[in-house]
Parts: sequence; C-alpha cells; structure tokens
Amino acid sequence: MSLVSTTPVATTTPIIKSARTRVIAVIMAVIGLFSFVVFGLGSTVRSHAALSFTPLNLVNAPWHLGSLTVATRWTDIVLSLIIVALAAEVFIRQPSRGVMPRFGIAAILFLVTLLFWAARTDGPSQVNSVNVTSILVGCSATVMVLVFGSLSGVMCERAGVVNIAIEGQFIAGAFLGSMIASTTGNFFYAAIAGAVVGGLIGLVLAFFALRYQSDQIIVGIVLVTMLSSLSSYLNLQVFTPFPNFNTGNLASNLAIPILSKIPIIGPVLFNQSAFFYLMIVLVAVVSFALFKTRYGLHVRAVGEHPRAAATVGINVVRVRYINVVLGGAIAGIGGVAFMATQGQFQVGYTSGLGYIALAALIFGRWRPSGAVVASIIFGLTVYLSYELVTYQVPVSLYFLQMIPYLITIGVVAGLIGRVRPPAADGQPYLRD
Amino acid sequence: MQLELRGITKRFGSFTANDQISLKVEPGQIHSLLGENGAGKSTLMNVLFGLLRPDEGEILIDGVVTPINDSGEAVRRGIGMVHQHFMLVPVFTVAENVVLGFEPKKSFDRIDYRAATEDIRRLSQEFHLEVDPDAVIENLPVGLQQRVEILKALSHDAELLILDEPTAVLTPQEIDALMDIMRSLAAAGKSILFITHKLKEVKAIADVITVIRHGQVVGTAEPSASESELASLMVGRDVQLTVTKSTYDPGDEVLEVRDLVVLDDRGLVAVNGVSFDVRAGEVLALAGVQGNGQTELVEALVGMRPVVSGSITLKGRDITHLSPRDALDAGLGHIPEDRQRDGLVLSMSVADNLVLNTPRRAPFARRGTRNLAAVKENAQRLVREFDIRTTSIEAPASSLSGGNQQKVIVARELSRNIEFLVASQPTRGLDVGSIEYVHRQFIEHRNRGNGSLIVSSELDEVLALGDRIAVMFEGRISGIVDPTTSREDIGLLMAGHTTEVAGV
Ligand SMILES: Nc1ncnc2c1ncn2[C@@H]1O[C@H](COP(=O)(O)OP(=O)(O)OP(=O)(O)O)[C@@H](O)[C@H]1O
Ligand SMILES: [Mg+2]
Repeated sequence: MSLVSTTPVATTTPIIKSARTRVIAVIMAVIGLFSFVVFGLGSTVRSHAALSFTPLNLVNAPWHLGSLTVATRWTDIVLSLIIVALAAEVFIRQPSRGVMPRFGIAAILFLVTLLFWAARTDGPSQVNSVNVTSILVGCSATVMVLVFGSLSGVMCERAGVVNIAIEGQFIAGAFLGSMIASTTGNFFYAAIAGAVVGGLIGLVLAFFALRYQSDQIIVGIVLVTMLSSLSSYLNLQVFTPFPNFNTGNLASNLAIPILSKIPIIGPVLFNQSAFFYLMIVLVAVVSFALFKTRYGLHVRAVGEHPRAAATVGINVVRVRYINVVLGGAIAGIGGVAFMATQGQFQVGYTSGLGYIALAALIFGRWRPSGAVVASIIFGLTVYLSYELVTYQVPVSLYFLQMIPYLITIGVVAGLIGRVRPPAADGQPYLRD
Repeated sequence: MQLELRGITKRFGSFTANDQISLKVEPGQIHSLLGENGAGKSTLMNVLFGLLRPDEGEILIDGVVTPINDSGEAVRRGIGMVHQHFMLVPVFTVAENVVLGFEPKKSFDRIDYRAATEDIRRLSQEFHLEVDPDAVIENLPVGLQQRVEILKALSHDAELLILDEPTAVLTPQEIDALMDIMRSLAAAGKSILFITHKLKEVKAIADVITVIRHGQVVGTAEPSASESELASLMVGRDVQLTVTKSTYDPGDEVLEVRDLVVLDDRGLVAVNGVSFDVRAGEVLALAGVQGNGQTELVEALVGMRPVVSGSITLKGRDITHLSPRDALDAGLGHIPEDRQRDGLVLSMSVADNLVLNTPRRAPFARRGTRNLAAVKENAQRLVREFDIRTTSIEAPASSLSGGNQQKVIVARELSRNIEFLVASQPTRGLDVGSIEYVHRQFIEHRNRGNGSLIVSSELDEVLALGDRIAVMFEGRISGIVDPTTSREDIGLLMAGHTTEVAGV
C-alpha cells in the first residue's frame, strides 16, 4: 500500500435545511388560504366596511380624518394573498432569522381580515366601521402590561432564574395598587407599593430557588396559586366590606404637547398615563444595562455559565437575587399599571396575562426589544379577540383567545425559528 | 513569581485527596505534575486557585505566606488557571470573555470595549496567541478556545499559570502550538504548573517533574527519564506501554456500513456517504482530527442519531434505524466519547451504573421488579475483575476519578455478551495505567473473535490498536490503510489528502 495522490478531497458539504420552518410555512399558508376562501370569497362583492381614524377623545387630537371605505372582498383577498406570499417565501427561502416576525405579521393580518369580514355591511353585525385609532389606543393598555411582564422575565431569566410568578406579581401589584391609589389618590405611591410587593415576591422566589435550589417553576406556580387565592380572600374581607379601598380610579393621561396631536399615532403613543412612559424608559434602561454595562455582562454570564462567572470573582447568588428582586418589582409595577387602565381590582381579572408575557419573552428571544415586538403582536391579538365580540363573530371568544398560546407553542416547539434561552436558565447553582 | 506549597492536606470526609503535599515552582519554570487518575492533582490545583480550602498547610508566594480564600483572590495574586473544562461563556465574544469580571470602565458603568480589544491585541502579539477578539467562543475550535483561556489569565497579569490537562482535547497541531506558547511564556518569566497524562509531552517541555500517588508526593524526576521509568514511578509498578496483540486473523464481516449519510446538530451533513466493513477478530481504528464526522458516525451506529440514507448491517441484520435500546440489544456495545454525559448517570451508584443498559433483563430484574441482590453481586464481581477504585459500590459515579469512571463503562459493556464494540475516544484523560488496562480489554475482546470500531484522535492509540486504520476527513473516509503506514502518511490523510491504495 502506498500513498500516491495528495490532492485534498473536495470539501463541499451540502446543507440540508431543517424541515421545521416548512411546517410553519404550511401552517401560515393554511391560515392564508382559510381567510382567502372564507373571508375573501365568502363575502359578497358589494359588502364593505368603513375605516375611521378619528380618536374618541378629541381634546388632545383635534383632528378629523375622514373615513376610508374598504371593499371587504377585495381587501381580504389581497391581505390573504399577502399571508400566502409570506408563507411561500418562508417555505422556499427558509430564512434562518425573522421567521417569527413573519408569523406574527401573518397572525395579525389574519385578525384584520377577520375584522373587516366581521364588520362588513351585509354581515350579521350592526357595526359596520372599524376605528383604527381607538383599536390601537385600546390595545396599548394590554401591550403595556405585557411589556412590563416580559421585561420582568428578561431580568430574571437573563440571570438564570425562571420567573413563572409574573402573574402573581401582577395580581399582588393590582390589588395593593388599587388600595393605595384609592386611599391616597396618588398613583406614584401605588407604583411604589407595587414595586415593593412585586420585589418581595421575587425575593421569596429567589430565596427558595437560590438557597434551597428548589425547582423554580414549581415555586413560581405555587406563588401564583397562593397569591390568586389570597387576593380572592382579601377581596372578600377588605374590598367588599370597605369599598372605599377599591374605588376604581383610572390613571389620568398626560398628553405630550404637539406630539400627541400627530394623527393616529399621537393618541396611541403620546397621550398616555405615566405608566406608559415609565414602560418606555424601563425598556431603554434595561436594554442599555444588559448589553452595554459591566453589570449586564455579569448578569448574562451568570445566566449562561455561572461557574465561569464565579471563577472570575462574580458573586453568582448575589447577581441572581438582585435581578429576581428587580424583575419582581417591574412586574409589580406592571400590575399597578394594569389596574390603572382597568379601574378597581377584581378577582381574576389579569386572566393569564402574566403567562402571555412569558410567551412574549420567549418570542422576543429574551431581549427587551424583542419582548416589545412580541408584546405588540400578542397584545393586539388579545385585544382584538375581545373586540371581535362586538361584531358578533360566529367564532367563540375563547377560540380567538387561544391564538397567543398557539403562537407560543409554535415558538417553544422550535417551529418558528430557533430560540435559545440563556444556557443556565432555570438551573440551580450549586457552590461546592 | 516563586510559589511554594507547604504541607497541603485536603480531605473529603474520611478520604484524604492531598496528603502533606509540598512543592516549589520557580519563576520561568515549567513544572509538571504527574500522577494516576485520582491521585489528587486537580484537587491540589483547586486548592491553589482558591476553589477549595486546604485542611492543613500553607501557600507561599515569593516567600510570603498568602492564604487564598476564593478564586477572585487567586487572580489578584497573579495566579491564572486554565480549567480542564473551559470556563468560557459560549455565546460571548472573545473580548467579553477575557474582560469578564475585570472590565475596563467608561461612564455609566459602560464597558470600554475599545480598550479591552487593544489589550487583547497587545497580549496576543506579545505571546503569539493569535485570536480574533470579536469572534464568538462557540464558533471557535477547542484549540482557540484554550488560547482564549490563556489570554484571559494573562490579561489579569497572571505570573503563574495552572494548566490542568490542557492537551486532552487538542489535535496534534494544536498541541504543538500550545507547547510553543508555553515555552514563550516561560521565557517571559511566567511560571507554569502543567498537568498531563501524556509522558511524551512531559518529557518534551517540563523543567521539573513532581510525581503524586495516592495524594502524596512520591518523588521528582528528570525530564530525561524514560517514559517507562516515569510510568512506573507514577503507578507504582511496571507498566507496559505497548500492547501485544495476537496475529491478525480476521473472520467474516460482522459490521457492514454502506453509503451512510448523517447530519449534525445544525442539520449540516456530517457523515457524507461513508462505507466500510469490520470483520470478526478485527479492530478497525478510525483516526482523524476531531470534528470530521466521527462523533456523528458513532452516534448513528448506536442509534443515537437518525440516519438520513445508507445502511448499517450487523451480522446480516439491518440495524440502520434501531433505537439505542434495540441497537444495544442487537449486540452492540458502546463506549461513548463524553462519558459523563452519555456513559454514566453521575448521581447514581456505581452498582446501578454497571447495569445501566440491562436493568430490565434477567437476572437484574424479575417480573418487573429489580433484583437488587443480583445487581450487587454483579457490581462486586466487576469491581474486582476490572479493578475499579471506589470507596463502595454504593458510591455515586460522580465521586470516582475520570479513569475509574471509564473503567465502569468498559466493565459494563465488555462484561455483556456483545457482538461488536464501538468505542469513541476511550482513553481520553486516562493515566498510563488505565490506558494499559483499557487497551488490554479491547485486545482480549478482539482475540475472542469479536469486531470493534475504535475512534480516536490519538495517533498512538490508533496505531497500537488498529488492525486496519480508517482516516476520516470532512465527513468522508479519506483512506483505509494498514498500521505499518507511516505517521506522516496518516497525517496527510487526516489533513484531507486522498490515497490511491494499491489493489483496493
Ligand atoms: N468534591 C469531592 N468530594 C469527594 N471526593 C472528591 C471530590 N473531588 C475529588 N474527590 C476525590 O479525590 C481524589 C482526587 O481527585 P482529583 O480530581 O484531584 O484527581 P486527579 O489527580 O486530578 O485525577 P485525574 O487525572 O483523573 O483528573 C479522587 O479519588 C476523587 O474521587
Ligand atoms: Mg484532574
């Protein structure tokens, strides 16, 4: 035997792409074809709906934009074809990034076609117009709460602790927030109270997770269950006999001069409560802190590889405590913010928003900016699913409310792009 | 820096891992620690780096007694450590990993990445440690990751560098590069504590050798000592460094692999149309630089990874798409590459680990319940036969040293009646005594007339065990040669050159 030729072997390694993106492309195509056939072809040529843009509250946005009449059939056909085109693009190109936003856009387009169809003139609904501005204003409250929640999740999970208790922190924040706002009439104190109680719940979670290495998900679920029962009990014992403690104040809006008068987006972004502006500041601060500062590098190191962090002198347990408490405080404020948009505390009225926030966190790939995008998509679907009831849509509200969770399952199953949590997320850290 | 350890003792419960260890490292010196698996080398280094507290003894730096309570303190005192398992955050860049914990700061707590990058560039140049500061760790080969670890230590002004088995995961080229780096560091006055099981490396680079056995210093040796002298000093008996095989007399084909295509975790083709046969009484050694598809090939053979196309036949039976359970039942034995992840359940006892792949079979189970007496009897027998050093058969596998963990797996797989053995990097991290032992077991398995596929990136091992040697490069077999082929020619095959083998 001898070695003769010394030419290197050709090194082309063909890439076989994962079939998963194709699955999601097929799902998108089915959605698009469904709306094409049912909403597009299913409506008559003459049916139409009116789009209006004038806000309900004209004080801050003193403009009247006329209304736009859309032919239901053609609009829905075009929007459905856009969904199908997105599906085709995903199927053929299989982009490695950005599948999630595409799927989100498809989901929203689907809801919009459904909305036009529901509001069409010859449909069962008496309402034949869609007020875009008020829908956006309306959903901004849900989006805001989801952003607070997912930002809390970012803080905790980036440091390696799963905070399932966001829902509980919402409930506690809303309960205490209503009480403080009712007695002091000041939402500033209510927000402080919410931050404190949310932080304390975070502290309990951190204590069990870090001191006793308990399963973080179980501790979180126990906390939510306990807090929701406790809130029912206290509601009965305190708010029912003393309604003065739960008077149902709403936070007043602070219109930003000039900006709030921009058509359509002005009322949505610049005529909001202080909580909304606080949320924007928090998103910016958390993004900056996580990705630009030493503190953020330490947090991310602790969430990815705690032992490596420890060998360079970072106190893993302390970083985790700090972040879980801060994250809890953010979720607590989110609870107050929710209460401030809904009025008085009611048992169970957060209705799982804390869990949707967790889904938004995953959808947003554990980034504050991603969490905002995800919260907008999810907030819009949640809000529209309620809104569609007024149009007498022949689909149960409950089915519509499943949409965010269906998207989440798709995300978690890795159907829509790859998501990768911080490597040590949910892992107890053992010092030895 | 001059470092002195005086009478260091470290106990784990009643077990003494370090017993009155004293040694001295001079500036600019490469000091090598030799010792069997479980001798206590890593424990000693962990004490020095502040990860463990000694029960007795003191550490002197430049003649001054310096207690080291945590690794942050060790780093501040000028001690750097490159761990056996890298302490790098995979998703961070090189720069982020290097500065972690010691970040240069700007206003608002921001990290001054420009200063950091410049620092890294300067150190890279000074010590010839080329690496791109903006590269993400997980995209780098292990050799470069290790460079980052060294850079990290140097950037903290380390004067003494601890390298705990740095070569175990490196390719031969990477090892040569590391040796050069170590020499230039020593020339710059840095002290190095170097742990390895490869005697060649010790002889090539060490200035001083200290040998540890059962937690005690048993002596020092000169680098000029022969490998067998070093080995017997380490193990306390004569070690046969070369295996003796009976004559090669292959029988019928046992395993046939045809046009196998397998994907890696990212969905890329890792095994690209591989075909080979292994016959009874034959060891096919699979050589190649790590990451050329060997891992995926082995995983496909034992059912841990789906086969895209092609076929695997074991004694005439198609086993291409079997689950791991069925593949094991069909008569495959598997010694996995990552023993801690795929070979053992670390938190379970030695006894349970020894029946891990047959827990539901007689005699270890009867009518759906476990027969603990049989499990215990089996464990006692295997621990005796295979000389597994453990405090008890009920001790968790995690408490064993690496070599003894590997013996548990070897004992489990070879004590079963298997048709074919698939072993991947079977002696990585093992001491010479354990290597001798494992190799002898493989050869006995072969001499009983069984087939084996042994994957190794260690050329010595490939040459010692293989009856034929297959070389893998970029997912293909670039050649199958016999073990008389020169190292240089095999090296060429490993680098992707093709062979024209006469008559094949
Ligand atoms: N945390 C621990 N608890 C109990 N025993 C331990 C612990 N760490 C190590 N040991 C034991 O101490 C002994 C020395 O282990 P050490 O890791 O120092 O060996 P080593 O010389 O580095 O071996 P190897 O060459 O296999 O890496 C072993 O018997 C090991 O089982
Ligand atoms: Mg060791």
